[in-house]
Amino acid sequence: MKFSISREALLRPLTLVAGVVERRQTLPVLSNVLLQVQDDQLALTGTDLEVELIGRVAPDQVDEPGSATVPARKLMDICKSLPEQSEINFAIEEGRAVLRSGRSRFTLSTLPVAEFPNIEDGPGNIELSLPRGTLKHLIDATSFAMAQQDVRYYLNGMLLELNSNLVRTVATDGHRLAVCSRPADIDVDPPQKLIVPRKGILELTRLLGDSDEPVNLTVGASHVRAHTGEFTFTSKLVDGKFPDYERVVPRGGDKVLIAERAELRQVLSRTSILSNEKYRGVRLQLEEGNLRVTANNPEQEEAEENVAIEYSGDGMEIGFNVSYLIDVLTVLNEDRVQLTLSDPNSSALMEEPGGGDAMYVVMPMRL
Amino acid sequence: MTTPTRKILHADCDCFYAAVEMRDRPELADVPLAVGGSAEKRGVIATCNYPARAYGVRSAMPTAKALRLCPDLMVLPPDFERYRVVSRQIQAIFHDLTALVEPLSLDEAYLDVSTVTRFRGSATWMAQWLKQETYQHTGITLSVGAAPSKFLAKVASDWNKPDGLCVIEPERVDAFLQELSVKRLHGVGPATAAKLEEMAIHTCGELREWPLDILIDRFGKFGYRLYELSRGIDEREVAVTRERKSVSVETTFDRDLPDFEACSQALDPLNHKLRQRLERQGNPPLDKVFIKVRFDDFSITTQETAGQEPSSTHYRSLLEQIWYRNPRPVRLLGVGVRLTPPEGQRQLSLSLGTV
Repeated sequence: MKFSISREALLRPLTLVAGVVERRQTLPVLSNVLLQVQDDQLALTGTDLEVELIGRVAPDQVDEPGSATVPARKLMDICKSLPEQSEINFAIEEGRAVLRSGRSRFTLSTLPVAEFPNIEDGPGNIELSLPRGTLKHLIDATSFAMAQQDVRYYLNGMLLELNSNLVRTVATDGHRLAVCSRPADIDVDPPQKLIVPRKGILELTRLLGDSDEPVNLTVGASHVRAHTGEFTFTSKLVDGKFPDYERVVPRGGDKVLIAERAELRQVLSRTSILSNEKYRGVRLQLEEGNLRVTANNPEQEEAEENVAIEYSGDGMEIGFNVSYLIDVLTVLNEDRVQLTLSDPNSSALMEEPGGGDAMYVVMPMRL
Repeated sequence: MTTPTRKILHADCDCFYAAVEMRDRPELADVPLAVGGSAEKRGVIATCNYPARAYGVRSAMPTAKALRLCPDLMVLPPDFERYRVVSRQIQAIFHDLTALVEPLSLDEAYLDVSTVTRFRGSATWMAQWLKQETYQHTGITLSVGAAPSKFLAKVASDWNKPDGLCVIEPERVDAFLQELSVKRLHGVGPATAAKLEEMAIHTCGELREWPLDILIDRFGKFGYRLYELSRGIDEREVAVTRERKSVSVETTFDRDLPDFEACSQALDPLNHKLRQRLERQGNPPLDKVFIKVRFDDFSITTQETAGQEPSSTHYRSLLEQIWYRNPRPVRLLGVGVRLTPPEGQRQLSLSLGTV
């Protein structure tokens, strides 16, 4: 194998593909990236057995097709630290990978290509296409609420619901839940519910830009695959049943307030400085036209903020993990935000005033 | 803000388990004696008396190694019931002096005697009284250190063990630290000591000459602690009730468990014991479950997951993750739970329903 390519052309796919490669590996070959050169095209593959990403790019020159696996992070670090616009020559010589650029030369170890695993995937039974921006929006609006390392393993991922003319994402860690739906020109019958693991979601969203260009999805029994032209992303699916979000969204809230989103976010961020570092509790005191936010920490330091709101109802005090509120205010796009509450022990509903495509449910903290 | 100088005592029984055995069988007093697990069952030494120490026997040493160093070593199995009885007597004496007692184990405690007016408020006399009372009532000798902080009190109690008494008066702290070996600082093990050695730091006096930013740079968060300790700063209070952070059960096997199946089967009895222990504590709210594995090469690994239930299924899946990374014979298995601290119990959960 022998080819040459510009540093910039190689770095973009390499960075994304290396992102899939875990730092701690069970199999040595999983620390490597698979390079395959064929017909004027270079394909780079990284995998952790759960998620696989293939990036493609055209080298400037292909002298000899072939394939090899080399340490992903080292290759990336070398390419990153070369001067901009460098031309990189890559060749396999006597079983070692030799990278030359200008007056630099690096010799990297390789592992047999045959050892490099690929995610075995059954036949895809559903194929559909979505605008990349739509899928990215759905993921970005909800991914913060995914659980991490929860024993309820199905929460360590995102529910992707494919219906006729509608796509929905749902994520929850048991304390808060995020759901977002968008219309789409698809026809899936019967509706499909996939749970994509956390890592798969985080990698997938890095590939998707905001463009209206399509991303093609292939759904199999145990895998989902996304094609975006130069990238092919495959993730295993989580086998499990995701909680029904409709049972969680509160319906009976009678205290509805509207606040300026950016202002409320700043108020909460400032207050959070003096909340308990780990549990992040803040107290919201709701009164007509005003919301008072207070926090204190184990050192008995205190923060108090007041912010004008649209509200005319009974007063109430309720506690929240301030990070949960800030997370929601960060992903909402509207200038204003609506909060619906009922009592200090029941969940709050956060959304755009009048309801947008996303809904957020946050459980309070006992005061 | 200036806080009034504190008076902290650290009281530590001299080779406690062995001392109880020697008290009850005086003929053992002059022979090398240890309390611990048997070599056949790959036990370790819990405590040994001073004749045994002369041979190089130390606590936490595998019994097999101890017997190689001292073939005549008499190794008794521990009798915790008896030790607990003695411990309760000693703790009662501590409580006679002050209510501010923080027990660290059966044979060791911190006492805050800052406000004690007996003995004219003299920490030295209080320490002497503790030693006397303890010896009279239990026949156990105590080493006591007195100082203005916990860490110095602990260093002091260790200063002229056994049957020691060392007082570091506030005005003497500075000079004492100047010459104190950094190896005496809590948290300085062989690795840190070697690093300090490279920097030509042997005493706290030498350590004090290094600025905080360099210490943090070289030792991370511990650099800050080193900076403080070398200046005698240790604001930790004598905590009367220590907050329990986790509950666990572990066991070292007579023979290494060779494979996943054997380990997996060993989980059930451990988990059963854990549940009993949790029940005795009123089933406190749980934050995480974890598993601990020590392999035949003595390396230790743990794996934990956020969740609520210490079930065998969950432990098996954690074990699987460890096994996947590093399949090798297992010497010790432990299962445990991390408890939700009171502050964390305030967050309410969504009712996701039974899925």
